[in-house]
Amino acid sequence: MNNDRTDKADVLQGTLILLVLRTLEALGPLHGYGIARRIEQISKDVLQLNQGTLYPALLRMEQEGWISSKWGASAKNRRAKFYSITAAGRRRLAKETEDWRRMSSTIERFLDFDPRSLTEERG
Amino acid sequence: MSWATVFAARLRGLFEHKRLERELDEEVRFHLEMQIEDNLKAGMNSAEARYAAMRSFGGLERMKETYRERRTFALVETTAQDLRYAVRTLRKSPGFTMTAVAVLALAIGANTAIFSVLNAVLLRPLPYRSPEQLAMLWTEDLTQKLREGRSALWDVEQWRSQSQSFADMATFDTVSTMLTGVDGVEQIVGASMSPNLLPLLGVRPVLGRGFSTEEAEQRQRLVLISHRFWQARFGGSHDALGATLVLNGFPCQIIGILPADFQIARLDADVWEPHPSRRTVRGAETWFVVGRLRPTVTFDQVQAEMSAVARRLNDQLPAAERNRGISVVPLTLYMVGPQSRLALWMLGGTVFCVFLIAAANVTSLSLARSVARAREMAVRAALGASAGRIVRQLLTEGVLLAAVSGLIGSLLASVGVRLIRAFGPGNLPRLNEINLDLRVLGWALAISVLAGTLLGLAPAIATLRRDLRPSGEEGGRSVSGGAATRRIRRGLVVADFALAIVLLVGAGLLVRSWWYVNSIDPGFRPERVLVMELSAPPTFSIPAQRTDLYDRVLETIQAVPDVKNAGIIGDLFIANSREQVVTVERDDGTVSERLRFAGDEVSADFFKAIGTPLLRGRFFSIGDGPDAPPVAIINDAMARRSWPGHDPVGKRFKLGPRNSDNRWCTVVGVVADMRRQGPEREPFPQMFVSLAQSPPPRSMDLFIRTSSDDPMAMAGALRAAVRRVEKNAPIYGVAPLEQQFGTYLAQRRFQTSLLIGFSIVALLMAAVGIYGLIQYSIVTRTQEIGIRMAVGAEAGEIFRMILGEGLKLSLTGLMLGLVGALWLGQAGSSLLFGVTPTDPLTFIVVSLLLIAVAVAACCFPARRAMEIEPIVALRQE
Repeated sequence: MNNDRTDKADVLQGTLILLVLRTLEALGPLHGYGIARRIEQISKDVLQLNQGTLYPALLRMEQEGWISSKWGASAKNRRAKFYSITAAGRRRLAKETEDWRRMSSTIERFLDFDPRSLTEERG
Repeated sequence: MSWATVFAARLRGLFEHKRLERELDEEVRFHLEMQIEDNLKAGMNSAEARYAAMRSFGGLERMKETYRERRTFALVETTAQDLRYAVRTLRKSPGFTMTAVAVLALAIGANTAIFSVLNAVLLRPLPYRSPEQLAMLWTEDLTQKLREGRSALWDVEQWRSQSQSFADMATFDTVSTMLTGVDGVEQIVGASMSPNLLPLLGVRPVLGRGFSTEEAEQRQRLVLISHRFWQARFGGSHDALGATLVLNGFPCQIIGILPADFQIARLDADVWEPHPSRRTVRGAETWFVVGRLRPTVTFDQVQAEMSAVARRLNDQLPAAERNRGISVVPLTLYMVGPQSRLALWMLGGTVFCVFLIAAANVTSLSLARSVARAREMAVRAALGASAGRIVRQLLTEGVLLAAVSGLIGSLLASVGVRLIRAFGPGNLPRLNEINLDLRVLGWALAISVLAGTLLGLAPAIATLRRDLRPSGEEGGRSVSGGAATRRIRRGLVVADFALAIVLLVGAGLLVRSWWYVNSIDPGFRPERVLVMELSAPPTFSIPAQRTDLYDRVLETIQAVPDVKNAGIIGDLFIANSREQVVTVERDDGTVSERLRFAGDEVSADFFKAIGTPLLRGRFFSIGDGPDAPPVAIINDAMARRSWPGHDPVGKRFKLGPRNSDNRWCTVVGVVADMRRQGPEREPFPQMFVSLAQSPPPRSMDLFIRTSSDDPMAMAGALRAAVRRVEKNAPIYGVAPLEQQFGTYLAQRRFQTSLLIGFSIVALLMAAVGIYGLIQYSIVTRTQEIGIRMAVGAEAGEIFRMILGEGLKLSLTGLMLGLVGALWLGQAGSSLLFGVTPTDPLTFIVVSLLLIAVAVAACCFPARRAMEIEPIVALRQE
């Protein structure tokens, strides 16, 4: 199954929600396949989305009320389920974004951290 | 907030299962098609495009599984799915399912039925207020082996005033009662109670009231009647209150109706009259005593206090009576004695063992099936089912099987309960209370769940141990069983045999006891003898009238064809032995002592009719009339006790102490000891006086020795004969003596036959278990056996190898079981009679039986193993 190791990074479960909400906010209603394609495109194919995991995540977000879904016709006039972000979803996105920024800047600090700056305090 | 919306969404998911499932399929198909199109555009050929699309999508089934779990409540959804799947798989293998359900249902049914007995007899509290505070108080004299002696009212009054532990004490006993009705006189079960008995027990009449102290003091002619009597005689009408019954010739007014099933200490009377609760002089009348402890007192404290009271009282008693003690026994313990308790617990343990064996066997079957299903499990794992999911699936199957079995088992149990109530031993207390209540059904549920868990979990563990390799390498080829499965199944077979041998040894010991009990000479020959009770009408108040009546009755009966002999005794069977001071003349002086003793009036031909041999002297004769000097026949036990080493014939004794006014009796004969309390009780000193010298004013037992194998057939003719003599002398309780004597063995027969039944079932199940295991092991080892034969193994060697495997298991079980049986024998030794708990014969016979069964069970499959054709076996793959 997913035994094959590539140098592409797997998308973490928690971040998937952030990516989906951001994608929907930026691009408007999309079907599942569309969301997956866009995430891969925007990340310039660095992020390897295990596409199957997208659907349970979409279901959960819909149950939470962050997105809503509607059956409609695709570009090639085929029936597809379109997802769009809701007001609750936008609030969630703002919060997730902020959390993510804070987290990544903290991690950043750790990576740039110089051990010598602590020696004096250690005494 | 968030969980609430999710909850609502999932609740919807529960009902829109079908639609959502379809939509998911559609969505996924759309996704894959789009991907394939894009892949084709990127220049792949169609096969590559499809493969790449599937690949980037990932595990489809696993995703759907996660999706479904999230769509609704995972537990409800998957359980429903597991159940559907379980029903499907179980229906696909009807042989396994039916065997498993049949075996489990029987085991659960038997367990539930026996538990309902335990529940009613042992667990359910007695129907009184705070029954744990109630105690029976007994006068005891251990030098006489008298343990449960009645007590005089004067004694009870002393106990009451000298002890602090009791809130109150009440007295009661049966009273011989004749009811005069429109169609003659009949004997009914009557009893007498002190007026404080009902308040002490916390029982209230359902209608009317109880006795007041004054009414009891004046012995007013008032009665309470039982609920049953009320229904039978008054049709449950309120008019019964205030109505009059003619009892023993006196009109008595009904003032109250007792609750249904009211009884006290196994005494279940139709009418109750009052007696005073205290007496100022120490009279001869003795009563049963029940007391209520004060709330904070323990039984140990009470016993210590009453023992001190007994010591103080002994100093005031005549020298011959100074060995007396008082014993305090919790009422619950008296109702169901330690022996019945032990017997019931043993029975419960036995039937639970049978259940364990049944569960073990079915588990073993389902393990065997799980090996065969290894491929199915591997496929499910490959399709993305997690290990937990597969375990749950197997558990669901187990629980479903057990639930169906439990349901059928409960139905069987309700039939069983009816059978037990109808055919159970009549002397088992509280038999009429046995039913299926919530606790019993709870027990049925509990053991069903236990069975379900066992038989689902074992294959689940075995499956996990096999590591669900998705390549299907184990499932793809036939395998030698899986090491884990084999180990568990071997363990189960060993356990089967161990449990079976414990039960068989128990049954064997009881059977030996049964034989022993039945070989005991009761001192009379009960076959072909008919017993009937006869009462002189209350108007026959002069002794000579009664003597005349008995003479005429015996004469008429002797004239009936097929009657060989007829005799009369006051009471052949002794319910409670009493004690009595007896003064005996010996060569070395006159001795008074208090004996456990019984005295009865018998007619001249009584011993001939019942078949008790005369050891010395003579029987009564016409000469022993009312005016002749009083004479007595004694039993061997009295001869040995009162005149050890001497011939008692011609010696004299009298009842009561040295200075009493009773007349001296001369011993004219000694008869063999009769076991008048059933074959298991040792005979004690007894005397018999001539009915002609003292005809008592109560009912008598009439014994008729016939030449017919079915003495009951003569009942009508005999009854008519008595009626011709005196139409107001009621005859009742007609039964063959063999049947009456047999009731003493009813409980032993009940427990022995149940244990035999259960242990045979256990043995059969153990045999089937080992047969199944060996058979299965051969099927899975066909290839190995083929190779062995191909490289030169003799058929005999193969046979021995298979047999050896079976024997090793059964012998291990045998060893474990024998240890268990030794322990059990010790614990239950008081149920045995005339056989030691380590009886070597029983142990050897049972061991041999078990080995024989094991060999037989292994022989069939082993023979088949010998016939394996190496070529066929090797080609089998």
